[in-house]
Amino acid sequence: MSDPPGEVVGETEWRRLDKRMLLIHPFQSLLQALPAILALFVARIGADDSDRWELLALPVVVAFGLLRWVTTRYRITGDQIELRHGLLHKQSRTARLDKVRTVDLTAQLHHRALGLAKVEISTGSAGKDRLVLDSLGIDEGRRLRAQLLDRLRTVDPALAALPPPTGPALDVGAPASEVDEVGAEEELLRLHPSWLRFAPFTMTGIGTAAAVLGFVSQGIGRFSEQGDYYESSARWLEEQGWLPSVVGLLVLVSLLAVGAYILSFWGFRLSRNHTGSLHTRRGLLTSREVGIDHTRVRGVELGEPLGLRLAGGRRLKAVSTGLQGEAGGGSDWLSPPAPASVVEGVAAAVLGDPVAVGGTVTDHGPAARRRRLTRAVTPPAALVVALAVGWDVGDWPLWWLVGALPLVGGGWLLGRDRYRGLGHLVTGRHLVARSGSLDRRRVVLARSGVIGWKLRQSWFQRRAGVVTLTATTAAGRQHYDLLDLTPERADELLRELAPELVTQFT
Amino acid sequence: MQLREPAHLVSPRAIRMWTVEAVLGALFLGAAQLGWWFLDDAPDRTLHVVVGALWLLLSAAYAIGMPRWRYRVHRWEATPHAIYTQTGWFNQERRIAPLSRVQTVDLERGPLAQLFGLATVTVTTASAAGALEIVGLEVGVARELVDTLTSAAVAEKGDAT
Repeated sequence: MSDPPGEVVGETEWRRLDKRMLLIHPFQSLLQALPAILALFVARIGADDSDRWELLALPVVVAFGLLRWVTTRYRITGDQIELRHGLLHKQSRTARLDKVRTVDLTAQLHHRALGLAKVEISTGSAGKDRLVLDSLGIDEGRRLRAQLLDRLRTVDPALAALPPPTGPALDVGAPASEVDEVGAEEELLRLHPSWLRFAPFTMTGIGTAAAVLGFVSQGIGRFSEQGDYYESSARWLEEQGWLPSVVGLLVLVSLLAVGAYILSFWGFRLSRNHTGSLHTRRGLLTSREVGIDHTRVRGVELGEPLGLRLAGGRRLKAVSTGLQGEAGGGSDWLSPPAPASVVEGVAAAVLGDPVAVGGTVTDHGPAARRRRLTRAVTPPAALVVALAVGWDVGDWPLWWLVGALPLVGGGWLLGRDRYRGLGHLVTGRHLVARSGSLDRRRVVLARSGVIGWKLRQSWFQRRAGVVTLTATTAAGRQHYDLLDLTPERADELLRELAPELVTQFT
Repeated sequence: MQLREPAHLVSPRAIRMWTVEAVLGALFLGAAQLGWWFLDDAPDRTLHVVVGALWLLLSAAYAIGMPRWRYRVHRWEATPHAIYTQTGWFNQERRIAPLSRVQTVDLERGPLAQLFGLATVTVTTASAAGALEIVGLEVGVARELVDTLTSAAVAEKGDAT
């Protein structure tokens, strides 16, 4: 490339986005201006005069897009990175290099066709402060990421030698010699196609399927006349009987879920380089590369939602500071839904604490169990009582009441499972909190990442003699709760986890 | 041995401030009800009377009970290493944060607080869920607390995450 590796650190000259963005920016501004341009055209359709002056808008918009490239510049000086853009409204953003938390590389289809990638640098603890470079060449982006995350004296040749995400799946065999030289990049996980079987068991997959179905049916409803499509399909369904319809729907939803899984996780690869930073790469059409500085990782979140649990699967996210949004905005994935043994292995490798990942958790006791059951059974029971009164006093149909009865049983099962999910564990370096039934999560949080404690008791909790202990942290969901502990246990935990903090208050 | 309560109560004037707050809130609801009285054309006023009586009863109970209950609960304590608060009334919460993790210390005085010579001190940490708030401190005490905490927080290095 243009600049030799040795000069990268300490350089002061301004750099621009990749030249190939000159092809993309005009289209982007055209797209943004499209509504206005269309409105202009529509308004001028009836006009008599023959000079189509509104066509002038097009070159102006294109020039505007080109100006974006001209006015955007960035540079790295000493210990900070600076980004400037804007012509009339000039903006300049500066971030200290040691505040950089994550560096994401995202390449949508048009980026990939041109060998580009959007670089997003997040620097704030809540992930709000982001520097976005849209876009650099893929090699340039990788070099920048290596420079920011690893703060190397020279560019890591292994990283720069990686094939772009557009290329075929990484062949570890080929660049092995180079990789070994710089101290190895360790591959922790690579997607196996058989994991696609987990796709239908996740809510994300089902949700996507529902969204697609809704969109399609809406589209059909709009274009078919007088809804005869619905009539004919309803008639067709009636002829088929309900069993094939249900099976057909299940198959369709599963296929869509698998499709969604492929779109977001195809080619998933998690690796750790010699500095300890984690790197993930994933995506079929839009490819996404995320680098997480290891000093920002405060733990992992092992997701075991009901469906995935029944299918023997798990998924894994990083609990890290500086990821976008409360739940990480999708850049925190460390493993897609995959077999439990695989995911737990990866979690143990990332944390180096297998007990925290797989060890048996301590339950929260009978009071917690009573509360889980009461809270799960009360709403459906109240519904049943209301329906019974309505049937007795008013003339509400009996089948409403009968139909609601199973809900009470379901509530009881849910409460029982929620209690079974509840647990905690303290290891040498980590605090483990597990909770939930439909969306069960086992959070492994570094004890050093806890920055404060809360003890919360609602009026009902005080009467039941339980307390919720919350560990607050700058990472992930910002707080992790141990629900309904006995006060004695909460006290014991605090004493063990933060002795220097609590002994002065006893 | 159990964690004890934080050492200091807030200013007794906080009871009056909370009472005024409660009364203002109740008056707001009362105004809504007055509007309903004039907008409703039905000749039967039973419902209005029932709702009005309920409003009076609940508002009075809230305005009398809540501030005293809350005053008994609200406590705080700062040591050279940590800050410890207890807040709430119906739902109660204790928070502890080490000073080494404190990021900002704010002193805030709303119009009511100014009227009663009180202030609120908010201590934030790097966690979005971890702010500690002490409501109803006397201004002098609050200023002193802010100074202590700020100098302690400045002495710490690193970004406290």
